[in-house]
Amino acid sequence: MKWQLRSDAPIYSQLIEHIKLGIVSGEFPPGGKLPSVRDLAGEAGVNPNTMQRAFTELEREGLVNAQRTSGRYVTEDHEMIEETKKDLARAKIKDFLEAMTRLGYGADEIAALVSEQASKEGS
Amino acid sequence: MPIFECRDLDKSFGQVRALDGVNISIEPGRIVGLLGPNGSGKTTLMKLANGLLTPSGGELLINGSAPDRNTRAIVSYLPERTCIPLWMSAGQLLDFYRDFYTDFRRDAAEKMFGRLGIPLKQKVKQMSKGTREKAQLILVMSRRAGLYLLDEPIGGVDPAARDFILDTVISNYNPEAAVVISTHIISDVEKVLDEVYFINRGEIVLHDSVDAIREEKGMSVDALFREVFKC
Amino acid sequence: MLGKLMKHEFRATARIMGPLYLVLIALSICANLSIRILDSSPAAALTVLGAILLAAFGLAVTGTVIVAVALMVNRFRTNLMGDEGYIMFTLPVSVDQLVVSKIIVSTVWFIATAAAVLVSALITAFRIEYVEKAVEMISELIRITPGLQALKGAAVIVEVLVLAVTACASFSLLFYAAMSIGHSFSNHKKLLSVVFFFVIQFVMQTAGSLVILASGTLFKPWFSGDIGIIPSVHRALWLAVLYVLIRGAIYYIVTRIMLKKHLNLE
Repeated sequence: MKWQLRSDAPIYSQLIEHIKLGIVSGEFPPGGKLPSVRDLAGEAGVNPNTMQRAFTELEREGLVNAQRTSGRYVTEDHEMIEETKKDLARAKIKDFLEAMTRLGYGADEIAALVSEQASKEGS
Repeated sequence: MPIFECRDLDKSFGQVRALDGVNISIEPGRIVGLLGPNGSGKTTLMKLANGLLTPSGGELLINGSAPDRNTRAIVSYLPERTCIPLWMSAGQLLDFYRDFYTDFRRDAAEKMFGRLGIPLKQKVKQMSKGTREKAQLILVMSRRAGLYLLDEPIGGVDPAARDFILDTVISNYNPEAAVVISTHIISDVEKVLDEVYFINRGEIVLHDSVDAIREEKGMSVDALFREVFKC
Repeated sequence: MLGKLMKHEFRATARIMGPLYLVLIALSICANLSIRILDSSPAAALTVLGAILLAAFGLAVTGTVIVAVALMVNRFRTNLMGDEGYIMFTLPVSVDQLVVSKIIVSTVWFIATAAAVLVSALITAFRIEYVEKAVEMISELIRITPGLQALKGAAVIVEVLVLAVTACASFSLLFYAAMSIGHSFSNHKKLLSVVFFFVIQFVMQTAGSLVILASGTLFKPWFSGDIGIIPSVHRALWLAVLYVLIRGAIYYIVTRIMLKKHLNLE
């Protein structure tokens, strides 16, 4: 099953997002080894060069470390992972708030609607 | 050095200008799309790269030399149509490729045939059209070539087969080789490409990387293509 | 590379010629038995069967020869001018190797067919009284006639074989040249191939006749003078070989140029 990728944003940045999601959700656990560029590219259905670019960016951010010969590992820095999780959440909330504002809701109404929906879903 | 280079390449058939001042440069390790409508010159360019046609003007270089029997040894070509002899068996096809190409990985090809459920004794004429196309793709991609030229590989092919083709291209990726895919069906192929050349009526009208197009123009290559080639 | 091309060419053609030769030999045995049966005036049913088998044998001989020629033409057309051409012309081999491999293999099949027909004829005639008598008469005739004596020499046999081989190759090349010109056009490829088949022959015949006329006056001293019948036969055979070689070479050059510069695969 290929990764779902949008058509209007650069592929490499979507790959970065996808991998970050994997890290914060535990699919790629802290300190764990990441699949090789080639394998992950095949899984995602993308060009290995583009996957490589995503990996390089993640290494630059420090979320991923490259050990010379043995491959790439997720960082063990739990704080960084938490921060990444919050960043992803904040981006989602930003999109949500934009959509709600376009519907015409104010901040209080939005909060009320969210509580109502959250308790219904029992989460 | 670029593995595939065109310098002001011209090709005419009588009065018809099939290619006009084409400039292309492809480095090893790149997967490049040659995108254009039917009749834009994609197949003519591929034939020139294989030495099946000779240029009317300008130059075409494979690894620095004009196409000849030596460049053919490092170029692996998938033609648009299925060309494998009908009378041969799968096993004999493997023998054939192994005999002529030292870079042919027979074991890998045999394993892929097995995975597709093609018995070695089965003759090509007994295979379905889709199986023949896949067999030809496997033979071409099982070579450790320097340049792969795939002419409309996903054209008349069902979505599952398209996935198979693109998977094969990704899993055979070799940083020392380049892949050129010519097609007019872009949405499936886009994620696999590093960069694209748009070609129209024999001229290159655009050359950019896929991500740059998405970042700068805020649309996919597929969407940009539709805009550029609007009828 | 040439060897590999020939190997695959033999693979492609042996599956057709092999069974034909077997059928031919089998029918020749039947023919031989038929003749013996017919000789002993048997029942009507056996006479009919015998006649049918003899006819079948005759057809098989003609058929095998026709197939050998058709196969030579078809191999060039489908393997080089058709879709398979995309594979063949992108192999790391030269155009010369592609053409030469086809010539060698088709020539081998022509010789083999001749041998198979000869063998089957011998089988058919095996220990048949009147055939043996006819052979005796012919040998006697050869012994008497001085000119025909030359035919018994080993040298003549070699020269005839060389002429046969050269003629087979040249024959194939004529078809190759016609097809390579015909297929360089975008339309009516087959029709044009046939047209050029006749055009080429016409041109060569005319040129050939002119050459012979010219050489007649130029080389007159060569031919006059009594050098004896036997040397004349040798000389004639070698001249024939030379003539066929030159024609074959011209067809080869035409084929080569068309395939290298004017290849037009769809």
